[in-house]
Amino acid sequence: MPKKVLLVDDSTTTLMMEEMILKQKTAYECVTAKDGLDAISRAVVEAPDLVLMDVVMPRMNGFEACKRMRLESTLRETPIILVTTRGEEEYVEAGFQSGCNDYITKPIDSFELVTLLHSYLGE
Amino acid sequence: MSNISDSPADLKGRSSSNDIGSQAKVYAARMRLQSAIDQADALDAIREIAANLIGTEEVAVFKVDKKRSELWLYWSFGVDPNKHSVLEVSREPKLKQVLSGKSVYRLKLSNENLLSTDDPVSALVPIVVDGSPSAVIVLFRLFPHKPGIEPVDREICEVLSHCAGRAIEPYHAR
Repeated sequence: MPKKVLLVDDSTTTLMMEEMILKQKTAYECVTAKDGLDAISRAVVEAPDLVLMDVVMPRMNGFEACKRMRLESTLRETPIILVTTRGEEEYVEAGFQSGCNDYITKPIDSFELVTLLHSYLGE
Repeated sequence: MSNISDSPADLKGRSSSNDIGSQAKVYAARMRLQSAIDQADALDAIREIAANLIGTEEVAVFKVDKKRSELWLYWSFGVDPNKHSVLEVSREPKLKQVLSGKSVYRLKLSNENLLSTDDPVSALVPIVVDGSPSAVIVLFRLFPHKPGIEPVDREICEVLSHCAGRAIEPYHAR
């Protein structure tokens, strides 16, 4: 069975790009969500193998969604990678404190993205 | 963040991945602009593409006046609108080139700014409507971790140039 990745972003442009890269370069199955709240409910239902999530989103941001996912028993161990526009130390630290495993900065580099996902999910 | 090595195999993989990545970015930009439902959505598409695909959260659109001597600020995001309300073509040599329909990019490591402002300008992109530049998208400061405008960014800017007409002309056909 292919590994499942939950892509979370309020930008349809980003979701489209991420999905296209993963479909062309990996065998992962992609499911999507448009904000943090949506992401939590999708994650509970879909049980993804990894979550790739934007930070700045309406209704609930990526940090908060990450914290709440860690409270769900089924998602406690799921790798969560946050997508940020900033690589500053403070911002990254906030991400790790929310429970994420890793981060990647926008604009996304496709090689970096695929390599990072492979490191968590295998090829 | 995980370390990524650059062995020959990795470099080959990087090249292949980046081709796919470039195609994905250009495709996503085109689809987003073409599916914009109205003018406000088209302007939001410009903001989204600038932030998520190119790497800047400082962007403005200037409309060209009828005499083509001035450009008036039409919309902006992340920049002080009072600071950039009007651009005079006679005082901005790069704008003449842009008004001929060609985008202008700041070269990596170059100290030369594209406009006479203390805010760094990374790109000037004409919005071409019916074959003529009707407006100019100004991309200001890039994210700190982004070294400069890359070849794929130029491709995305070409998409912006030819598909963003709806952002300034509400009834422009897609």
